[in-house]
Amino acid sequence: MSDATGLKIAARDVDVFYGDHHAIKDVSVAIADRTVTAFIGPSGCGKSTFLRCLNRMNDTIDVCRVSGTIELDGEDIYDRRVDPVQLRARVGMVFQKPNPFPKSIFDNVAYGPRIHGLTRSRGELDEVVENALRRAALWDEVKDRLSAPGTGLSGGQQQRLCIARAVATAPEVLLMDEPCSALDPIATAQIEELIDELRGNFSVVIVTHSMQQAARVSQRTAFFHLGDLVEFGETGQIFTNPQDPRTESYITGRIG
Amino acid sequence: MTDIAGVRPPRLLTRDARTRRRNAAEFRFRLYGRVAVCIGVAALIVLLASVVANGVGAFRQTFLTLDLSLDAAELDPSGARDVAAMKKVTTIGYGRFLTRQLKAAIAERGIRIEGITDSDIAGMISKAAPAQVRDRVLADPGLIGRTVAFRLLANGRIDGYLKGRVTMKSARLDGNVSPAQLRLSDALRKDGMLAMAFNWGFITSADASELRPEAAGLGVAILGSAYMMIIVLFLALPIGVASSIYLEEFAPTNRWTDLIEVNISNLAAVPSIVFGILGLAIFINFAGLPQSAPIVGGLVLTLMTLPTIIIATRAALKSVPPSIRDAALGVGASKMQAIMHHVVPLAMPGVLTGAIIGLAQALGETAPLLLIGMVAFVRDFPAPPPEGFLDPATALPVQVYNFTQRADPAFAERASGAIIVLMVFLLAMNLVAILLRRRFERRW
Amino acid sequence: MNSASLLLIVFAIALAGWFLGRRRALAMAGGDARRLHSLSGHHGQAVFLFAAVPALLVMFVWLFVQPIVTEARIGDAIRANGLFRQISPSLVMSDVRRVAHGLDLMVDRGQIDEKGLAALGADGSELRARLGRVGVAVGGNVGGDVLAAARTLRRDNHRGAVGMAVAVVAVALAGLVWSLSRISVEFRARNVSENFVLTLFFGASLVAVLTTIGIVGSLLFETVHFFRIYPARDFFFSFTWSPQFRGGSDLGIWPLLWGTLYVSLVALILAVPVGLMSAIYLSEYASKPLRAVVKPLLEILAGIPTVVYGLFALMTVGPFLRDMIAEPMGLGSSSSSVMTGGLVMGIMLIPFVSSLSDDIIHAVPQGLRDGSFGLGATQSETVRQVILPAALPGIVGAILLAASRAIGETMIVVMGVGAAARMGLNPFEAMTTITVKIVSQLTGDTEFASPETLVAFALAMALFVFTLGLNVVALVVVRKYREQYE
Repeated sequence: MSDATGLKIAARDVDVFYGDHHAIKDVSVAIADRTVTAFIGPSGCGKSTFLRCLNRMNDTIDVCRVSGTIELDGEDIYDRRVDPVQLRARVGMVFQKPNPFPKSIFDNVAYGPRIHGLTRSRGELDEVVENALRRAALWDEVKDRLSAPGTGLSGGQQQRLCIARAVATAPEVLLMDEPCSALDPIATAQIEELIDELRGNFSVVIVTHSMQQAARVSQRTAFFHLGDLVEFGETGQIFTNPQDPRTESYITGRIG
Repeated sequence: MTDIAGVRPPRLLTRDARTRRRNAAEFRFRLYGRVAVCIGVAALIVLLASVVANGVGAFRQTFLTLDLSLDAAELDPSGARDVAAMKKVTTIGYGRFLTRQLKAAIAERGIRIEGITDSDIAGMISKAAPAQVRDRVLADPGLIGRTVAFRLLANGRIDGYLKGRVTMKSARLDGNVSPAQLRLSDALRKDGMLAMAFNWGFITSADASELRPEAAGLGVAILGSAYMMIIVLFLALPIGVASSIYLEEFAPTNRWTDLIEVNISNLAAVPSIVFGILGLAIFINFAGLPQSAPIVGGLVLTLMTLPTIIIATRAALKSVPPSIRDAALGVGASKMQAIMHHVVPLAMPGVLTGAIIGLAQALGETAPLLLIGMVAFVRDFPAPPPEGFLDPATALPVQVYNFTQRADPAFAERASGAIIVLMVFLLAMNLVAILLRRRFERRW
Repeated sequence: MNSASLLLIVFAIALAGWFLGRRRALAMAGGDARRLHSLSGHHGQAVFLFAAVPALLVMFVWLFVQPIVTEARIGDAIRANGLFRQISPSLVMSDVRRVAHGLDLMVDRGQIDEKGLAALGADGSELRARLGRVGVAVGGNVGGDVLAAARTLRRDNHRGAVGMAVAVVAVALAGLVWSLSRISVEFRARNVSENFVLTLFFGASLVAVLTTIGIVGSLLFETVHFFRIYPARDFFFSFTWSPQFRGGSDLGIWPLLWGTLYVSLVALILAVPVGLMSAIYLSEYASKPLRAVVKPLLEILAGIPTVVYGLFALMTVGPFLRDMIAEPMGLGSSSSSVMTGGLVMGIMLIPFVSSLSDDIIHAVPQGLRDGSFGLGATQSETVRQVILPAALPGIVGAILLAASRAIGETMIVVMGVGAAARMGLNPFEAMTTITVKIVSQLTGDTEFASPETLVAFALAMALFVFTLGLNVVALVVVRKYREQYE
């Protein structure tokens, strides 16, 4: 694993097409290890699409084509020899809408470790599940009802369950696609706190609509507009001293 | 904390053993899926192929072309050309007459078959042929005294020989046909007297008895099915549409409406044979309607198709957006006007598609018809409607079943042939449904 | 006058009412339609409905009730007559009906006039021969009582027909006159006719309920009748089925139930995995073009009438199984067998299971798939561990519906499974099912009062209750499942 400030994912000259629609235009981004990188931009600017390229979730969409290179620790993830399954075990994802499986809380979290064969015994699995739930700050709320269905939790709890589920697989990168958009402010605050904590072990990439959120949780920010990467840099610099007039318009609320 | 990340080799370009195993499982799973799809498609192909292979022969039939000199002395002994008097000569007389003529024709062509008897020669011709000649002569007494070319049905076994069902070997074991007859048919075939031709009679004539499979046709069955479809169309469509409109647009949401809805969805899944019981108990035993009548069949099939039509119609009505209703109500139309003028016409393609699917289902249904006596042997064509609705008739699918119940293997071919006819009708109906959907499909 | 021409007359009256109603409404408004509360067309429509519908209703009820009344009267006469004690009244009744029909035909063809008919004696064979000439076959020589009853029947039928014609036309005219008299400028013809139509719609929705009542009623009635002459204990607990013509039949349901369940089991063992896997393959794996071709193909399988499957079992699958498997392995020599019927029924159920499963799999939200893929699951892991468990209740419902179809299926088992009531384990033996026995007990010449015939109703009742139970459970399960993802 690379050191704390090293490069984790390097995307170069990435283009994405949805059928005839050119969704991402020649984007290059370098994502550092153990930092939180935020993708911001108006709706439809391609930030989620780009995020989904980073663990090849776009493979599940027939009409989507990706060109350019995206490297994880120096290996091209779009290489023909790469199995997307193996990739996604290392680059986990949390989605906009909480999507717990219709199984028990325990089985939800244990799903990743089980399919990837990460544990050898039931005891080990219990430990992994507990750790993941603790890290997602959910353990205290659910420890007495691990066999209750995950779908019975509140929205914020469900999203933290999904984060725990992703964490349990021990990924190196965690992609989060607007993880708070379906949540109320209190749940949002909890999740943001969590993201800040996760930074200690993972590199986190978060797509968000909210500029305040990006400013609160991220160290680096990329601004997308109409499929272009307009500006990418330190979060503080982007928000206080944007280089591009479009970025400035967006963060001051003139486009969006 | 267990550091499980360290267990995993960090390389992406090489696959670890577990991933390979998982991919193999993935491959197997996909294979099961492919196999399942193949089983389904293969079953369809084998089914259709077997029906077509078995049944296509029913559309071709062996005929014996014979120049008959219609001898007045024999066929009209009174000489007055009076039809009533000519009727005195029965089909048995015509049978003897035909045998003699055939024998003469064989001798004239110099065909000699060893060990052939007179009854062998008589057996070359279908037992239905004398009636065929008689009917034509009675219809046109002017033919008498002339020599007329007749195309007569050959016996079913001879037909089977030409189609490969009967062989020399099987003929030796069969009391109904002798090897000499088969040799004779070879000779007649070479001569051109015996030949296969398209068999219109299969589609137009009535059923025939056990002993003359070559004459059996589907005419009565097709007519009976048509009568029943008319009844189903004229009852099920209006009732189905009316009750769907009520349930979908007007019915208050209460227990009673709920009951009707549950009732309809359950009725759709009641085994069809139970509807036959209903028909037998209510329409025949209680109301005293005649057995084997298309009206009873039509009523039973109407009740059976009603749920299908109601479910399809309600779906079609539901797919018309509420904005259409609001628009009509907004210009002052009454609720009934909004629905009858706007919603129903817009839902019509869906309604008609549902009705056709219901009709197709009714056309292919057999079990309930067995119970109301439509399985009976019916030789006479029913009268034109409406009186004909009360005459005995059969239906296409029941005729299929009927054919399979008979001993002569020639009927097996007829059964498959009848299915081809049935499937052609079903195909045509489904094509109409698809075209309707294509033509009028609307996206909101 | 026959019913068809009566129908035409009623429609003619109603149509006339439509024109008259319109004219009268316009005339009352002095030719200015704007003064009317309702459009003149609505007035016409109201008159049309009031003229036609009550008259048709009278006609319908009359047609239904008249035969019951007349036959009950004649039936009483027959029962009162000691001569017929040995034969069942229903047989005599059908003789009477046939003779009456024959007499009608003779009159129609001008072979006899009413006067001659009155003089006609029951001199045995002569009448029988004359009836035979018009195509009516009577079992024996026609007795004097039968002839008398037939005459009464003819007279009653004739009177009934005349009475009906008079009544129907009278009702139609009354409706016409009454509704015409109601027309005025303020008359709310639109509301009246709309309410009338709405009532008709409501009536139409009752047909389905009446059908259910008819089914349950007739099954219940005849089943009770059956249990009165045959002990229920023997029906439910006997393990033999051997109907005899001369009484003393053993009519236990178990051999039939066993055959039914065995065949259904074989069918489901084929249909459920194949149907489910093809639904999964088509919705999760197959490319669009493949799906566009294969899905309709499977749907064709669903549209094929069951008699076709029956023939397929009888002519292709049965002989194939017998020659390739059963005989070489010494398992039996019958081409009708549980295996034959079960496999063919399984084929019939494949599209049923697959299309239901397809709907259910599609109802699983995309988010669950994404969640699983996002964790690095393969597609089959996603299907097996996320989608199938999520869809399980719906799939169970689909399987229950398929089972109910299998249990109620008739033609395939009639033509493919056989008629031997037997409780064996060898699937290559012929057995029989409830539906086969319903058909065989109710077709052919059957005497209606014997337990051998009535048992069919008890069997049908059992079938109805069984399938209804499965359907209700399945519908509840599926509905619950749908709500889960709404």
